Amino acid sequence: MSINTEALPKQPEVTAPAATAIPDVTPKEWIPRIVGFACNWCTYAGADLAGLSRLHYPPTVRLIRVPCSGRTNPQFIIRAFQRGADGVLVAGCHPGDCHYSTGNYFTRRRFLLMQRLLEYMGMDPRRFQARWISGSEGPKFQQVVTQMSEDIKALGPNRKMRDAE
Amino acid sequence: MITEQMRAIAKDLLEKGEVGTVIGWEKGTFWYNSTPLFISKPEQVDKLVFDEFCANNLAKYLLDFKLAETKTAVFVKGCDARAVNRLLQDNQVSRDKVYLIGIPCPGMKEAPKTAQPQDIAGLPLLTKCKMCATPNPVLFDVMVGDPVPDKKVADRFAAVEALEGKSADEKYAYWGKMFEKCIRCYACRNVCPACNCRECCFDANGLNWLGKQNNLPETQMFSMTRAMHVAGRCIECGECERVCPMGLPIMEINRKVIKDLNELFGPYDAGMNLDDRPPLGTYKLDDPEKFM
Repeated sequence: MSINTEALPKQPEVTAPAATAIPDVTPKEWIPRIVGFACNWCTYAGADLAGLSRLHYPPTVRLIRVPCSGRTNPQFIIRAFQRGADGVLVAGCHPGDCHYSTGNYFTRRRFLLMQRLLEYMGMDPRRFQARWISGSEGPKFQQVVTQMSEDIKALGPNRKMRDAE
Repeated sequence: MITEQMRAIAKDLLEKGEVGTVIGWEKGTFWYNSTPLFISKPEQVDKLVFDEFCANNLAKYLLDFKLAETKTAVFVKGCDARAVNRLLQDNQVSRDKVYLIGIPCPGMKEAPKTAQPQDIAGLPLLTKCKMCATPNPVLFDVMVGDPVPDKKVADRFAAVEALEGKSADEKYAYWGKMFEKCIRCYACRNVCPACNCRECCFDANGLNWLGKQNNLPETQMFSMTRAMHVAGRCIECGECERVCPMGLPIMEINRKVIKDLNELFGPYDAGMNLDDRPPLGTYKLDDPEKFM
């Protein structure tokens, strides 16, 4: 069946917006995607301080606020890699400073193990890091994210454990 | 013989009414299998056997009887006794509700699945029994038979170390080949005495960050999650590997975790001593500090 286009009302012609209206924001080079699990009490405040202090760091990290670094389930990390993260950072209070007294001591044990297990499964251990960043350590947050972005940029996009290409 | 002593003890317990159920093994359909048996009447005890094919770890069946009003008796080999310790430590069963009849285990045999019985003495040991360092039960109320001498086991971390030495891509390819075979039947989880949660996270509905598909990334996630969940609690009974219908080397993952835990936080053998806390359930102030 064919449609008689002559009979249809005339549509106004759509014109492309002027080329100068929207700046081209597509990145010229590949930038890594890092999922950061940030403890509510220390690292999230540290990241906030980095922002308030106008510290520059690469826009590679997506922070997810967790009540404590100990809340980070190992499955979250595997899931992040599955869904396209190139690196995962777990960050919490320094040992001894946990808001819940002991949460980060368990985190430390769990993720030392997790990192070794990921390495055993064929992941590069540099893609998964844990760091202690307190609420007053804005510059440390900046430095950790910069360092990790550079490391992962050198490693290239993660193709392992991915759900889809 | 051990079988006769088992029957005598079971009969005695059931006649006196000390226990409501006895969990043991009976001869299965074929000459090469002995399957779990649950009896509650003295006249049923003649079904009980102990031979070279009683590989099943019976400890996990205690979970089905944890609400029973009577005691439950269970026959335990070396690995099963450690499994009972696991359940006790996880507060899944209480010690005064179980009666443990220990059996020193000479090691179970791997049989070819032939119709005609073969010479049992010439059969090889099961993989899990080759690696076993605790053939004698560590926990029992009464022991049947004499303790067997402690075995000298081959280095149980040899396979792990060989794999650790490979490159990242080789390791990834090795595991990829393995996990591609996984059919997500959950036999490993169902048989594992450390997987004793009332509701497993893999059965939970509504967790949309936890996939249930049967594809490579999800089977990778399943295996790694299970390894992390039993980390520090795995008693190395090797049942997961034995029941795996696809023959995946699951213990190579569990042993890697055990090896790392031993290196990082000091030697620990799960299920040997009730008072020792599992390494991931405790901490020390001076733990290795690799993250700064």
